[in-house]
Amino acid sequence: MSSTHTKLSKSDILHLAKLANLSISDAEISKYESQLAETIDYVENMKELDTKGVAVTSQTTDLTNIFFDDGLVNNRALTSEEAVANSKTKQNGYFKVKKIM
Amino acid sequence: MDILGKSAVELLESLKKKEFSEKELFAYFHKRIERYNSKFNAFLTLAESTDENHEGPLGGIPFAMKDNFCTKGVRTTASSKVLEHFIPPYDSTVTIRMNQSGAVLQGKTNMDAWAHGSSTETSDFGPSKNPWNTDRAPGGSSGGSAAAISAYLSPIAIGSETAGSIRQPAAWCGVVGLKPTYGRVPRYGVVAMGSSLDCPGPMTITAEDAALVLEVIAGNDSYDATSSPVPVGSYRKEMKKKRKMTIGIADEYMENISDDVKKRVDEAIEIFKKQGHTIKKVKLISPKYAISVYTIIQRAEVSSNLARYDGIRYGNDRTHFGQEAKRRIMLGAYTLSYGYYDAFYKKAQQVRTLIIEDFKRVFNEVDVIVSPTTPVTALKLGEFEKYPFFGEVMDILNEGAAVSGIPAINIPCGLDSQKLPVGLQIMGNYFDESTILNLAYQFEKETNYFDVIKKGFERYKE
Amino acid sequence: MKQQYPVIGLEIHVELKTDSKMFCQCSADYFGKKPNTHVCPVCLGMPGALPVPNRQAIEWAILIGKALGCTINKISKFDRKHYFYPDLPKGYQISQYDEPFCVNGAVAIKEKTFRIHRVHLEEDTGKLIHGENKTLVDFNRSSVPLVEIVTEPDFHNSDDVRAFLEELQVIIRYLNVSDADMEKGSMRLEPNISLILNHDGSPDPELPKYKVEVKNINSFRYVKDAIEYELKRQAEILETGELPPQETRGYNETKGITYSQRSKEDAHDYRYFPEPDIPPIVFTEKQLEQIFESLPELPGEKIIRYKTQYKLRPQDAFIITRNRTTADYFEHVVHEFEKHRPVSNHEVEDIPQKVANYIINKKIPVDVSAEEFVRQALELMAPKQTDTKLLDEMIAKVVGANPKAVEDYNKGKQNSIMFLMGQVMKEMKGKADAQTVKNELIKILSK
Ligand SMILES: [Mg+2]
Ligand SMILES: [Zn+2]
Repeated sequence: MSSTHTKLSKSDILHLAKLANLSISDAEISKYESQLAETIDYVENMKELDTKGVAVTSQTTDLTNIFFDDGLVNNRALTSEEAVANSKTKQNGYFKVKKIM
Repeated sequence: MDILGKSAVELLESLKKKEFSEKELFAYFHKRIERYNSKFNAFLTLAESTDENHEGPLGGIPFAMKDNFCTKGVRTTASSKVLEHFIPPYDSTVTIRMNQSGAVLQGKTNMDAWAHGSSTETSDFGPSKNPWNTDRAPGGSSGGSAAAISAYLSPIAIGSETAGSIRQPAAWCGVVGLKPTYGRVPRYGVVAMGSSLDCPGPMTITAEDAALVLEVIAGNDSYDATSSPVPVGSYRKEMKKKRKMTIGIADEYMENISDDVKKRVDEAIEIFKKQGHTIKKVKLISPKYAISVYTIIQRAEVSSNLARYDGIRYGNDRTHFGQEAKRRIMLGAYTLSYGYYDAFYKKAQQVRTLIIEDFKRVFNEVDVIVSPTTPVTALKLGEFEKYPFFGEVMDILNEGAAVSGIPAINIPCGLDSQKLPVGLQIMGNYFDESTILNLAYQFEKETNYFDVIKKGFERYKE
Repeated sequence: MKQQYPVIGLEIHVELKTDSKMFCQCSADYFGKKPNTHVCPVCLGMPGALPVPNRQAIEWAILIGKALGCTINKISKFDRKHYFYPDLPKGYQISQYDEPFCVNGAVAIKEKTFRIHRVHLEEDTGKLIHGENKTLVDFNRSSVPLVEIVTEPDFHNSDDVRAFLEELQVIIRYLNVSDADMEKGSMRLEPNISLILNHDGSPDPELPKYKVEVKNINSFRYVKDAIEYELKRQAEILETGELPPQETRGYNETKGITYSQRSKEDAHDYRYFPEPDIPPIVFTEKQLEQIFESLPELPGEKIIRYKTQYKLRPQDAFIITRNRTTADYFEHVVHEFEKHRPVSNHEVEDIPQKVANYIINKKIPVDVSAEEFVRQALELMAPKQTDTKLLDEMIAKVVGANPKAVEDYNKGKQNSIMFLMGQVMKEMKGKADAQTVKNELIKILSK
């Protein structure tokens, strides 16, 4: 394993939880502090490889320009009943959430 | 009725000869599920049987499907409490293609929640058990599908890989598992994990069944912009051609593996030699870097892909995520965050390029690369939770193919000293599933996988 | 002398009027439709659903960029922009981050040039309907193609902002890619406003260290009002020696004020990364040329041409080109006149301006055919039937009543003939041909 030791603070973890829209307990915070740091330490090994000038790969397919033609018949349309069927909070074909200011 | 252990190809033959009916066949497997599922926790949801007769290349063959494939009207949970009651209003492309081929859905199989894991223990609905030893993990994340094939609760199963999730459970449960080239099989309707990595694929008891299922599910899909327009091969025909190959062996993929595994893999290589194939030493970038690339990219994509689960349109809210999902989401958010992107995500994408170039270079010299599928055989349940990063390390030999997108297959190559299956991995060049299936088929004809598959289900004869 | 120097940049969102949505085949015509009836697994963000881009939307985004003088990137891609909001079904918006379709454009209005920073393509969100104690969500609008236009901070007063926005709306409508209707929300404006309190007059001063973004503005007038309000508010803060906080503010049109919505502390970290579900977009020069083929002559170009080719007055050329249909109609009518030769050379030169006049002054309705327009125009232009007997009487009357003017004329004061003509026309109650009146007058006066 790599020798670097990443330190994540409680506020780092809380910030990440906020970004990720997750609520976490105090017990989870201390657990994640070390677990995330352990993973980050491991992946530091990438630094051993010289990537100067190397192109990035975000896709392995080599595909480009995959489009559909506007106005194509819609075979996937859902009715509003189907659309909201799995929702626990719905009203008259709408999804319902707590009032947003 | 003599059904136990018949491959899909054999079952199709029997159906044609009317040795039994489709309905009888479905009932046979249904009975086995009823009898054994509580032992292995392979299935989470069972589908209704149908009365109609099914036409097509898999006409009447029952199949199991991992629970991250959307099945219209059949609950799809990805083994997470978040989707505990989710009934998809649509089918995944693979579901549609299996249905159109005449295959009959038996039910949805257990997995690591959101496919996060290598043991099926992160499932919110309890771990699956390895039919070879129920104290052991079946591997994962497609552990339920692997267990179902191993105990012959299903003749064929659909699994999915992000890195190793087909090959590793196939290795630990002693079955055939094929991860196709990225883009070969459409991802549309598969609960996304690592979008640039996810690959659906077959899990079967013979190489020919794997080829048959691949012929059904592969091919371009207008609903998946990353699915390939490369024509689908005639895998079954191609695999039976007598071919002499150059097989690459890389030291980097033979290190840090157990003695038992090493022994079985060395024996397999001897068999390849005996068959007249040429063994060639090749050099590959150490797979320890593939772990890092995989971890960064997968966590980033996970944190993004799981953002849609807000409990508004379907499912439960975000408090229902388990520990593993939370850890991955937060790490992904970290590596994509302002100020860290270049050091992590961008760097990983660059190393990914190096790994791809490395494989391309080696495939100029060899037809396939052979290695163990896993460093060790099936671990005891409970080992994984002790070390959160353990899964990635366990999948070390699978991640190169995952991040580069090349196809690879697991086939059984014997048992270890604890009578647990050992898996052999054959990696191939992009879209060259025919070649890895050909070699797997040759090995199967030569060894019958040392009867590993047969021994697997023979203990569940009733 | 030191003076206030506003620094304003604009972000404009324009919804494209494609048939299908950006990433699925659902109808993009969502306005006024029943909730959640234009949806599918993709635009609802269902598990496993994947986006495939709409070719037309991409071509139109590029066309907008081209019309705004941008460089079109040959290589571009989509990215995911992450934030949580109930109207954003996937928890990320598919947008473009570092490789947008279009960059570095410029729009000239009168003597000024305003630079365009970038033009990119993204997807719209669903719609929130706020009730008493709940909020309802409708995803019919989710994933409708949305073009975002970002200007450089080149505006220094609200009049320029308004003129630019009006020009932009005209251009977009010329391209026929969007209704650009602010009331329907198919064109949305967000000014970024900051202020240098004591500007020394240098042409390129250092930009302020803060900016205030104002959202929810749905008319050009309100943009102007919101900017004026903000500049006053910010000046008051700056005068106390404080820096106005960087924030997002809303605009209350009834009260005419802006109000704080979100402060910098919760500014978003969007965690952009390349959309793995969509392969990159790569165009050759030839492919781009093909897209540009559908670029029409733009209003700015038309104005120049109308001034030279048709000798229109600048103001009239501007008015007649505000709307592509009107401009096309104008030219159509002018060409229709060609069929009605012979007309004197003098008249030919005059005809376009006359047609423009009739259109602008609504003398002839523009919903008639070009032939009919010409017929009515010829009628208006034709020498009027003049009652010569009455004319003789009236001329005698006017000449008799205005000896001073007659005398002036005879002394060589040509202007007075116009006065006398006017008087005669008045007596004739307009029922006389001006040229005939003039001729007759001259004849009598020179006797
Ligand atoms: Mg935007
Ligand atoms: Zn849709």
